[in-house]
Parts: sequence; structure tokens; C-alpha cells
Amino acid sequence: MEIIEKIKTNKSIDNLTEIQKFCLDKLESTPLPNPKSEQWRLANKSKLSNFLDYSVNEKNPKFDTPFPNTSQSNIRLVIGDNCLINVIEENYSIKQLSEDKLVKYIKEQISCFNQNENWSELLNLSLNSRKNTLGLKINGSEIPPIEIFSHASSNSLNAKTLVIFLEKNCDIDLLQVNLGKDNSSLSQSTFFCLEENSSVNHGVVSYGENKSNLLNSLNVIQQKNSEYNLGSLHFKFNYARFEIRIKQSEGNAKTNIKGMQITKKDEQISTYTKIDFNGPNGFLDQINKSLADDKSHAIFEGSIIVPKIAQKTDASQLSRNLLLSNLAQIDTKPQLEIIADDVKCKHGATISQLNEEELFYMRTRGITLPEASKLQLSSYFQEITSFIPVSKDRWDLLDKLLNEN
Amino acid sequence: MQNKMKESDPILEVENLSASTDNLPILKGVSLTVYPGEIHAIMGRNGCGKSTLSKIIAGHPSYNITNGDIKFLGASINSLEPEERAQSGIFLGFQYPIEIPGVSNLEFLRVSTNARRKFLNKEELDTFDFEELVKEKLELVKMDHAFLSRSVNQGFSGGEKKRNEILQMALLEPKIAILDETDSGLDIDALRIVASGIKKISNTQTGIILITHYQRLLDEIEPNYVHVMSDGQIIKTGESNLALELEKKGYEWTDNFIKNTK
Amino acid sequence: MVNENLVKDVVKEPYKYGFVTDIETEKISKGLNEDIVRLISQKKEEPKYLLDFRLKAFKKWQKMKEPDWAGLGYKKIDYQDIIYYSAPKQKEKISSLDEVDPKLLETFDKLGIPLTEQKKLTNVAVDAVFDSVSIATTFREELAEHGVIFCSISEAVKNHSDLIEKYLGTVVPASDNYFAALNSAVFSDGSFVFIPKGVTCPMDLSSYFRINSGDSGQFERTLIIAEESSSVSYLEGCTAPMFDTNTLHAAVVELIALDDASIKYSTVQNWYAGDEEGIGGIFNFVTKRGKCLGKRSKISWSQVETGSAITWKYPSCLLLGEESVGEFYSVALTNNLQQADTGTKMIHIGPKTKSTIVSKGISAGNSINSYRGLVKMGTKATGARNYSQCDSMLIGDQASANTFPYIKSQQPNSEIEHEASTCRISEDQLFYLQSRGIEFEEAVSMMVSGFCRDVFNQLPMEFAAEADKLLALKLEGSVG
Repeated sequence: MEIIEKIKTNKSIDNLTEIQKFCLDKLESTPLPNPKSEQWRLANKSKLSNFLDYSVNEKNPKFDTPFPNTSQSNIRLVIGDNCLINVIEENYSIKQLSEDKLVKYIKEQISCFNQNENWSELLNLSLNSRKNTLGLKINGSEIPPIEIFSHASSNSLNAKTLVIFLEKNCDIDLLQVNLGKDNSSLSQSTFFCLEENSSVNHGVVSYGENKSNLLNSLNVIQQKNSEYNLGSLHFKFNYARFEIRIKQSEGNAKTNIKGMQITKKDEQISTYTKIDFNGPNGFLDQINKSLADDKSHAIFEGSIIVPKIAQKTDASQLSRNLLLSNLAQIDTKPQLEIIADDVKCKHGATISQLNEEELFYMRTRGITLPEASKLQLSSYFQEITSFIPVSKDRWDLLDKLLNEN
Repeated sequence: MQNKMKESDPILEVENLSASTDNLPILKGVSLTVYPGEIHAIMGRNGCGKSTLSKIIAGHPSYNITNGDIKFLGASINSLEPEERAQSGIFLGFQYPIEIPGVSNLEFLRVSTNARRKFLNKEELDTFDFEELVKEKLELVKMDHAFLSRSVNQGFSGGEKKRNEILQMALLEPKIAILDETDSGLDIDALRIVASGIKKISNTQTGIILITHYQRLLDEIEPNYVHVMSDGQIIKTGESNLALELEKKGYEWTDNFIKNTK
Repeated sequence: MVNENLVKDVVKEPYKYGFVTDIETEKISKGLNEDIVRLISQKKEEPKYLLDFRLKAFKKWQKMKEPDWAGLGYKKIDYQDIIYYSAPKQKEKISSLDEVDPKLLETFDKLGIPLTEQKKLTNVAVDAVFDSVSIATTFREELAEHGVIFCSISEAVKNHSDLIEKYLGTVVPASDNYFAALNSAVFSDGSFVFIPKGVTCPMDLSSYFRINSGDSGQFERTLIIAEESSSVSYLEGCTAPMFDTNTLHAAVVELIALDDASIKYSTVQNWYAGDEEGIGGIFNFVTKRGKCLGKRSKISWSQVETGSAITWKYPSCLLLGEESVGEFYSVALTNNLQQADTGTKMIHIGPKTKSTIVSKGISAGNSINSYRGLVKMGTKATGARNYSQCDSMLIGDQASANTFPYIKSQQPNSEIEHEASTCRISEDQLFYLQSRGIEFEEAVSMMVSGFCRDVFNQLPMEFAAEADKLLALKLEGSVG
């Protein structure tokens, strides 16, 4: 298969690491995901193959998108940009994860990978080099907000991997930004381990410049009494796929997810989430909003798995969708799989357009139709964007969303 | 007194208006003229078409005008968008004000007020100046400042929603206000507040159409004319005592008019 | 803590309809090939177009694969180990009920469906199907006066061939799915209903399906046509004896509603479910679909699914006509090792079409109860609306409840709303009822039937009462 050859001839990889070898091995037997499987049946075939079209050799590793200025109080890291960090302060420390621990952890993860379900990670790990992997161990309190960037440069397929260990009783705000330059593909895999009593406000903002693609996978393991809050936003990608897998390893943890995806032109963005309650007293509150305009296609598939051991789980999942054009389409499939009996689970889904009565009401007050739509959209987005941590204001996200085409 | 009013040009002229929704005729030839300073009341049973009339004047997209015309200050408005009508000074007070989750009331009021001010060639107000203006108008309807920070009508009680409507009317300073069952769902105190608000906002240059079921709002605001609607038509027009007679005799009494006209 | 055993007892009512009728039957040899298909057609003296229909379906079936997407776990079916035609031996041509074998009449008597003139139900016309053939249809003359045709499908092939040729396979094409193709090749009997223009059927129509032989499959086919401005309510009941082998039931039901017509199709499915260890029981793989062809036509499915070892069933509506309406009301109860994968498809094609889905799943024991549904708004479905509500009730910590709603929209001016929730019978609720002097079993069944109320309200009256009782019986012993 072409992609396998491409990876093998990748100039930036001199010697294949053990992990790369292992993942390549798995890919070699079935290089592409099964297009008929539940996880991939709606993926646009030509867009997915376009993802793999670009060269895996990094031509221009230097990234020139003007970031908003970093503020004094933030810590900013760019994956692949020699980001060595070793901060030891009185209250906290942020250290590079040791090579051993990093490899050990990733191997553990790989051991339970499934070809189809984890294809994005297999691709990421087989492409990735040590240079493009960032591993962090965070500990302490009063930690300044952290921003982490991943990007793909023009005409290339780049893979970035992030591994974060949040130690006991630790509490952070983390904003992850994924950027795709013109004609590029970014494979981003993130592994997050939240130890007992830790808590994170995690923001994920991904957007492309022009004809860029993204495969973004996020694996979170939550130990007891941890709290994971995710606010995410994906827009302006020719093709983007966001996979979220969260496991409450012993239950007794809290997960809040608010996601948003916007598609225009002929873009396709899909979000897949799988929340696994592996113990009692788990909590989940999830909402995913999508907006599809022009000829675009928005997809949401969520599953909540509540086995027998997960008594007293309280889980709610909502999929809200706005379909704004005759040529756009939306697919949504929120699923529940429940064995435990003493649980509170619900899910809901709606697909509609902007509320006409609301629009009329605003228009009778002299507000023009475009303005009224904008007001409505911004309130639709507000719930999600307000959940994204770390000086999101500097990113003018809402303005970007509402004013760009 | 009435003749004196009619020396000026009418604000609103509804001429033999017929309209339908989903091919179902709702209005069947309604005519109505409002001059500056006049207060008209439109009464009638549920489903007689009075709410539809108000929505059509405001430009609701669900209705088609099949015949007749609506003129505002002498010019036909049939082809105007709802927002253009609002900007030019037509105000509709909703029977059921719409809840708009997530959109802040203050922002909503400011954007709409500025849209009207722009039309009037008045300076648009920034947040600070607008707050000043709104504070003054809040007094009129005895609303608390806290209402401004909430989402538009969301979680408002029935009375609060209606007061919010009158607040909007006060801010937009319309030429004509059509108030659709503004009295429904109000207790007597709230009714007085709303009525006094309406009276303070209206003047000799404005027109008001009150759409109502009941006499009690008309006890607070005395209309110059009362129209009774039935099956998409105005079947009787009289002065304020018509409302009292209607209250006494009930709508069965008006059924006779239809028989007579037929 | 609620006494777990007490609850288990409540769900364990023995299957009442498990007896076998000892009657001489005519069976063809086991197995399936082209000759068998020809033989069935020949036995039924069918015209050539029908034989061709069967043969084409058989060819398609041979090329198809048994579906596995529902993730149902069952032993592989050996299609060569099934008898595809089995009929009680009786006189060649039966002219009146008196000539029907008394054993058969007795069987239906025992099932609560008396067929004889003296005893027959007064307000329902019944078509009784025993294994592969229809035994009797009551009230035929009375219905004929109104122009309503109600007979077995074999008879319809003979007497109303034009209607069969025009409509058979137009809603569920032979190639639709594996089991529909199988049915199209080997279907034996079933009911045929035709309601002419402007007629409101004067009574409810009902088919009662009885599987008697242990080794034969049942492949019945039902076709209901409601012409312009007509309406009909149709009920379907099913039972089978207890065998320790699995019996395959692969039926196809097709409904067609023209302008302003309405069809209400209600099912109480109580096939033998197998024993507590999951031995035996019916494999119920059914394709039911209605086509709202005409403007303002309406098709309403209501079902109470309590039986079968495995149920695989998605009564669906194709909403073509402008302003046509599709409805699906379902209660599915599973206990022990039963597996039910059921739901509906609402395909909105025409403008202003509306659909409502209400599904209540109750899972007890080690059973798996899944709702699987599709709501689709096509590009022309402007102003279309759907509302779905899928609730699950779990009884005991071994049962599983799954919800898989597939939702797709290509029309911005349409609305889809889906809600689902999971609950159980809480101790507080039980305690509250018990503290008011209500017996434990009574309290449980009150809550279950309360949970199912929205669906029961849709059933014809006699059915609703029966369904309520059935549920209470089935549930005995399972609340923990």
C-alpha cells in the first residue's frame, strides 16, 4: 500500500522506533479502515484518501502563522519546535516525561487498540518521530495556563503526538490549538491521563486555512475523583475527524464535554465519541453542536457504554444540529449501551434550522435578517465557546466563526 | 374632536385586505384606517383573524396577501421586510413574546433601538449611552435592571414578558403600535403598569391598535373606535361603548350581525 | 432492599400456548433449492408471474449474506435443515367451516380465537393461519357486502390475481434484505386485505398465526391495500408450541395507503421465547413496511413484542405522499436470554410528512433489548417533522438496554427531535405504592404498564387489555 511505502521512506525518520514498527506492522495487513464499519461508513472516501495524498517529508517545519501574542502568565509550547520544558517552581512542576515512561504508556495504549476504531492513532504513531512527540508530567497547584500548538505545513502530512500525565490533586487549564496550512494534513493524537483528584479544563481549537485536513484523536483516562472538562471547536477543514475516547477507569469521575463543529462549502467534519464507564458513580454531561451550510456534511456519532459495574452512572448526551442549506446534510447517532440497572442515562438529538419565530420577533424590532441570524448563531455558539479555557478572547474565535466564509 | 384628528394624513390604512396561510384564507377583506392620536380596539373570538391581522401588518413570512393593500404613512408596505417595517415605525407587541435563549436582552434591545435610530437619522448609541436610556425607560414599566442581563424573555413570567414588550415599544418610539392581547395573563397590578406605560408612550402623533378579548384593558385605555371581527372580517365598528355592550351581551350578540350582513 | 427473588417469581409465568396439536400434516422434504421453490408454487397452483417472482427472489437470496450488523448472538441457522412447506392434511377443497378438521378448530379455541359460527368473535374478522396455510377466514360475506376483500393470500392469488400482480413486492422488494428474499422465494400463506375507495372497514380484521410443527419454518406474507379515503384496523397475533429447537419465522408484511387512506396495524407477538436457559424459541426475523403513497395517507404501526428467542423487526414507513403520516408505537419486553432488536425506519420523502416514534423497551433477566431506528429527511421533505421518544426500563443488573438511533437530514426546512432515557423501577416508587396497601406484584405491574401507557393507548381496546395482562404475566418474577 502506498501509505506504508510513504511512511517507510520518510526522510525525517532515520530509524524506526519500536512503536513505529509495531504500528506499521498492524497497518501493513489492513492499511485503511474498513469503509463499511460503523466508525467509518460515513467518511467521505475521496477526502480521506486526499488526507493521505501529501508528502510525509517535512519541507517547512518552521511555522509562520502569527499567533496572538503570548501573555506573560501563559506557558506556550509548539510541538515539533524543540519544545523542551522543565519548569520547577515552588508550587508546581512541569517536566518532560521520561523516554521510558512515554514508551511504556503508549505501548500500554496500543495493546488495546482495535484496527478500525484506533486507525487514526495507528497512523499517527507509525508516522511520528520522537521530535514531534511531546510528553509532559504535571504536578502541583496554581499552575499557569498552558497553550500547546500542533500544525501541519503546506503540502505535507504531519503527525504530532501529545502525552500528558496529570499527577494527583493537580489542576490545570490547557488550550490545545491545531492548525492546518494550505493543502495540508495534520494527524494529531493526544493521550491524557488524569490521576486521582486531578482536574483539567481542556480546550481544543482546530482550524484550517485552505483545503486542509485533520485527524484528531483524543484518549483520556480518568482515575477516581478526577474531573475532565472539554470544550472543543472544529472548523474550516476540507476534512476533519475528531475522535474522543474517554474511560473512567474506576468510575467516580466527572466528565463534561461541549463540542462544536462548523462546516461550509463541501467540507466534512465528523465527531466520534465513546465514553466508557468502568466503575460506579460516573458522571457525564455532553453536548455536541454542529452547523452545516452550503454543500457540507456534519456527522456526530456518540456512544455511552455503561456496564454492570457502573451502577449509579448519571450520563446525558445531546446532539444539536443546525442545517442551513438545501445541499448540506447532517447525520447524527447518539447511542446508549447499558447493562447496569440503577443508572440515569438519557440522550437526545435535534436537527433543524434557525428558529423562524425567533428570527421574526427580532425582525419586528428592526433587526435585519442577517443580523438576527448572527445573533442567534452567536448565542448558539456561546454555550460552547465559553467553555473553552485559556484566554480564548485573544483568539477572537466568535468573530472568526461568524465573519469568515 | 374626531374631525379635528382627521385633518392630518392617516398613519395606517388597511384596504380590503385578504390573506391566507397554507392556502387557507384567514382574512377576507378587512379595511381599517388609523389617524394620528387615535386608539382603536379590535375584539373578537379566538380564531377570528385579529392576531393574523397584526402579524400581517408586521410582515410575518407565513402569510400571503391575496388581495388588498396595507399603507403606512401613505405608501404600500406589502413588499417590505419585517425589519424595514419596524425601523420605519411599526411596532407589534406579541401575544406570546418569543424566548430567545442565549441572546442577552440588553444586546437585543440595543441593536434594535439603534436600527430604529439609524432610520430616524439619530445618532446610534454606544453601550454606555444606551444603558442610560434604558434605565429611564425601565422606570416606565417598573422593571428591574436585572432583566437586562437575562436572555430575551427566557424564564420571564407572563407579566414580565408583557412588560418587556412595552419596554421595547418605549425604546423604539413607533408611529403605530399594534398590541396583541397585551392584557392577557396579567394580574390587575401588572395590567395597570402596562396600561400606564402605553399611555405615556403614546401621544397625538402616534396611533395604537389594541387587540383584546376583554373590557378590562379598555377600562384603563379608552379607545376612540371599537371593531368587532369574525371569520376574517370586521363585522361591526362603533365607539368605546360598543365594547361595553359586547361585554354585557357576549359574542353571540355579534353573530346576528353576520346573519344580517349575509 | 427489594427482594430480588420475589421479583424473579413475578416474571416467571409458564408459556400458556406451548401445546402441540396432534394432527396429520403434509410436509415436503427438508432443504431449500430451486425445485423446492417450484414445488411450493406448484402446490399452490400459482400463475407463472408468481413462480418467476419466487425464482428471482431465490436467486438473489443465494447471493446474499445473512446480516450480522444487529450483533445478535445465535447459533447459525442451517437453511437446509428446515421444512419449507407444512400443512395439516384435509380435504382438497373446503367449502365451509364444518369441513375443517375439528382438531384445528379446537386448537384455535384453546388459543382464544374461536372460529365457528356459534362462537366466533363478534366484532373482529379472523384469518387463522396454521403452519403454512390459512385454515379459515370469518365474516367474509359480511365484509364482501362492503366491497372489502379479506382472505388468505393463496386465495387472493387465485381470485384477485390482478391486485397481487400489481402490488406484491412493491413495498418490500425481494432483494430488500436476506430474510425478505427468503420469504419471497418460499412464502406459504398469509392474509390479503383490500379496502376499496371510500370504505371504512366495518370491523377490525385480524390474522392469527400459529406455528405447530417443530421443524418447519413459517414464512407468511401479508398484503394490505387501502384505496383512496378508506380505512382499516388490522390486528395480528402469534403463538407457537414449546420445542427445544429453534424455529425460523421470516414474514413479510406490505401495506399500501393511497390518498387520504389510513391503515392501523397492531401486533401482539407472543411466539415461544425459549426456556430460562435459552433453549428453543422462535427466531423472529420479520420485514414489515408500509408505503404512504397517497396524499394525507397514514400508516400506524403498534406492536407489543413479548415472545421469540430473537426478534429482528423494524416496521417502517415510506412517506411519499404530501402530508402523509407515519407512526410507530412499540413495547418490547425481553426476559431470560431473549434478544430483541427492534425499531422503525421513517423515511420522509414527500413534503410536510410527519412521523412519530414511541418505543418502550423493558429488559429483565439476562436479556438484550435494543432499539434501532432510522429517521431520514430527504431533499424534498420540506416542512417535514419527526418526533421520537425511546425509553428503556431495566429490571435487574444483568439485562441490557441499547439505543441506536440513526438520524439523517438533507432538508433544512424540516425538524427532527429524538429523546431517549433509561430508568428502572425504584425502591422508593415501590415502597410508596406498597405503603398504600398495593401488593408487590401489583405495584410492579402497575409501574410497567404505566411505563407503556403511551403505547397501549394506541392499541385497539381488546388488544390493550390483553397486552397489559401479557406483560404482567411475562414480568412475573423479574424485578429486583
